Amino acid sequence: MFVRQLRAGLTLGLLLAAGNASAQELSNQQLIDSLSQISKAAPAIDPALLAQEANANVGKGVANQPNWSQLANLSQLLVEIDFENDSIAIEPKSYRTVGLIADALHHPNLMFYKFLVVGHTSSTGDAKHNLNLSQQRADAITEALATTFAIPRDRLSSVGVGQEMPVDPANPKAADNRRVQLINLGRIK
Amino acid sequence: MNRLGLLSGAIVVASLSLAGIGRADTMSYADAVTALAKDCGADIKKVCKGLNLGNNQIQDCRQKNEAKVSPTCTSTLGQVTASIQQRQAAQTGFFKICAHDAAQYCGGVKGEGNILASVEVETRRQRQMQPGDHRCGMAIDPNLGERSCLFVNCARD
Repeated sequence: MFVRQLRAGLTLGLLLAAGNASAQELSNQQLIDSLSQISKAAPAIDPALLAQEANANVGKGVANQPNWSQLANLSQLLVEIDFENDSIAIEPKSYRTVGLIADALHHPNLMFYKFLVVGHTSSTGDAKHNLNLSQQRADAITEALATTFAIPRDRLSSVGVGQEMPVDPANPKAADNRRVQLINLGRIK
Repeated sequence: MNRLGLLSGAIVVASLSLAGIGRADTMSYADAVTALAKDCGADIKKVCKGLNLGNNQIQDCRQKNEAKVSPTCTSTLGQVTASIQQRQAAQTGFFKICAHDAAQYCGGVKGEGNILASVEVETRRQRQMQPGDHRCGMAIDPNLGERSCLFVNCARD
């Protein structure tokens, strides 16, 4: 995976210095560093409420919804994971990215934290279909993490938001909007 | 010998749970599935279309379609599967073996882990384990003080 699309929306909106490098391979250390910057003021986010807001706002966007609007305050990373067209099958070329995420989540610094995988699409196609597909794709990523890579299921959750929160709102059809957010939800209780 | 000396003498790192890259017996998940994608990517897309990395789907598909999958892919898939299993066993074993020491020396420590690259290098240098040894490695990070216990993986040689 390349950081062409990598934007590290860290707490306080700081950009990861390494995130600005072009066509540089995402490293394990980058993942660990950016995901482990936990702010004490980080909001508690319930993935079920995110799903509710996404389902109730198909075609209308979720950026201003109470829960979605708080996600930016959590330690997170954007990654690019490619899927086969209109399918939940992860492209083999993106296996490495999933493996890197698994390595990071097994790292002792992150071992006691929960993570949320958020799937996004561009606005190409039907909004409802995009929402469902992104949910299934986010599920496929957590499924791989939980089975092949043995991350305990209680540390993982997934939600799809379809085209409702584009990273490039001026160009909702742009490929950059297709992305996966990996978000640190805080310590396991 | 004081406790610190005892501890640092006992430090061993075969592979940090994450930084096992380049080792013969286990490799990082990222490297394992990169090998899988390289040697099996074409077969997966052709023979196992629509199937995913999770839930043993690729392994099951290969078994059902043995004749259609290239020998290179079959071999790599076997190695990758074994490597992942080995690593998981090592990690589980580490927690079992180290549970007592962790409770004794690192009780109440916040920020479990905090493995730093410099510590990794240091522990490798200090390594005194013999092949076949399985001991718990633990160190106190000099930069962070006693309250930062560093867990390093158990020796697996």
